[in-house]
Amino acid sequence: MTTTESAASIVASATTHEVHVSVLVPVVQRAAPPAALYAEYSAPLRAAGVAYEFVFIASPWRADMHESLLELTRAGEPVRVLEGGQPMAEGALVRLAAERSRGTLVVTLPAYRRVEAPAIVDLLARVEAGADLAVARRWPRTDSWVNRAQNRALHALIGGMARHRVHDVASGVAAMPRDFLLRLPLYGDFLRFLPLLAVREGYRVEEVEAPQHPEDRSARIYSPGIYLRRLLDILGLVFLVRFMEKPLRFFGMLGSISGLLGMLVLAIGAVERLVGEQGLADRPLLLFGVLLVVVGVQAIALGLIGEIIVHLNARRTPTYRVRKDSQHSA
Amino acid sequence: MSLPYLSVVVPLYNEEESVGPLVDLVRESLGEEYAWELVLVDDGSVDGTVEVTSLLAAADDRIRVVPLARNYGQTHAMQAGFDHARGRVVVSMDGDLQNDPRDIPRLLEKLAEGFDLVAGYRVARQDKMITRRIPSWVANGLIRHITGVSIRDNGCSLKAYRRELLDRVYLYSDMHRFIPAVAVALAGARIAEIPVRHHARQFGKSKYGLSRIFQVLSDLLVITMIRSFRDQPLALFAMGASGAAFLGIVFTLWTGAAFLEIVSWRAADMFVLPGAALLWFGLAVYLLMLGLIGETVLREERGRDPEPLPLVHESTP
Repeated sequence: MTTTESAASIVASATTHEVHVSVLVPVVQRAAPPAALYAEYSAPLRAAGVAYEFVFIASPWRADMHESLLELTRAGEPVRVLEGGQPMAEGALVRLAAERSRGTLVVTLPAYRRVEAPAIVDLLARVEAGADLAVARRWPRTDSWVNRAQNRALHALIGGMARHRVHDVASGVAAMPRDFLLRLPLYGDFLRFLPLLAVREGYRVEEVEAPQHPEDRSARIYSPGIYLRRLLDILGLVFLVRFMEKPLRFFGMLGSISGLLGMLVLAIGAVERLVGEQGLADRPLLLFGVLLVVVGVQAIALGLIGEIIVHLNARRTPTYRVRKDSQHSA
Repeated sequence: MSLPYLSVVVPLYNEEESVGPLVDLVRESLGEEYAWELVLVDDGSVDGTVEVTSLLAAADDRIRVVPLARNYGQTHAMQAGFDHARGRVVVSMDGDLQNDPRDIPRLLEKLAEGFDLVAGYRVARQDKMITRRIPSWVANGLIRHITGVSIRDNGCSLKAYRRELLDRVYLYSDMHRFIPAVAVALAGARIAEIPVRHHARQFGKSKYGLSRIFQVLSDLLVITMIRSFRDQPLALFAMGASGAAFLGIVFTLWTGAAFLEIVSWRAADMFVLPGAALLWFGLAVYLLMLGLIGETVLREERGRDPEPLPLVHESTP
């Protein structure tokens, strides 16, 4: 994977002063005009006297957006424009941007408006006060009932399956130390689940209520493909959070259910053959029972392979994290 | 500061009331006979355990606190304690006062006889019959039968280990229930058992129950696989593939017999019987391929990070 940095961005990079906060903006779908976004969200940082830079990253850039950002850099604004060498998901873009950012703290900001801009300063204040991760929670919600219903369903599903409660995983606006972001296993579309991953790793996560941006209020209905992707993301998250160390419990559970059902079907067929004198070999019931047993064995075998991988990696991957803030810790 | 001979590792989860009396008992039991340290692992308690342990550590430099970032569970807490323990001998015990630190010297005496691990087994258990003792009997019987490691009381945390053993064993998932079996499987440990005291829980709530028995079954399968096949995953999957292939052959013969009209033959059989045979053969091929993937992963990982060699016991005088 290669990343090219616009030459103009180097001219305009914040080399003249030490950058304290890097605002990382991955530009994917639904992007608002980046120059306007920058103007709106940089204002509170400037007002607070924070030394900042904005790092916009896309793969690839749309020509009009790219040009408008380059104009900002030419005007001397602390804006950097990065381009990933390959098409990438939001999580990978943020990771790349974080690796090249200069701030001690980073803020992740979607390329569209979710919360009112001053919320960024509140998030940074929480991190300065000791939180590992401060995430914006759009509250009070003022958007359409369609959005709220979808949001409620999403969080009920995540809360129930991943066993962690976060009120707004989709806001995408969060502040954290740069080192913290680089330590987390961030890839694919898992950026939205950053708070849940952080909680799982034992970090201190704080939710900060942030007024919802007016542009975020309109009803959003996505294509079925998007909903399917979200479901797959949640499945991946649940596996990561609950079964990462014990894959056999996940695959074994599915396999046992399928295998036992298959054996039940075959037993019913056998009893009918012996008692009712109904044929077995010429009934699809036999095929169905065998299929269920085969699927069950396949699932359990997959779980065992997972266990082998976990076992081989266990010594190398730390399975716990020690808090460093205790006065008398070892 | 010289390193202690003995490290006592105690995982704690919401034990603010127990930890003070526990530390007093450990001090009283160990006295000055050994150079010892007490490693208190706070497993993300939400009561005042961290504050109490910090105060205790401030007052006695033999006490060290390992505060985990969240509640990881007993296995991880125990592994964290082992990682931070500095003694040549390590003793693990529960933090809820059910184990008695007065048994520690006896564990050490037995360990000195040449064992790598000495496990305590609780006599006169002070637990409820239905929810604790019966599940414990069932679980211990299953563990003994399936792993072949004859330990009476796997649930007793009071155990003594040589450092050399702990350097070869890494606990994850819920392996704290099977430490002797894991120690035998991964390091070829020599194990002994001695009876130890057991007291009823005085403070707080038990964190275990009947539901654990189902998790034990799943974990046992993993331990057995690690013990028997960790260096040859293909052999494990080939066994499964042989079974599936055998069933495929049975169904093929059945199809042949039907075709030759040795058994009754109907139009639908042309689909059902060969279909079932194909499914079994397909499963056999699938399992073999998974076995090959297992071998590939194993070679890759072992090449990068060789596993520690097992313990060696010399019998020459």
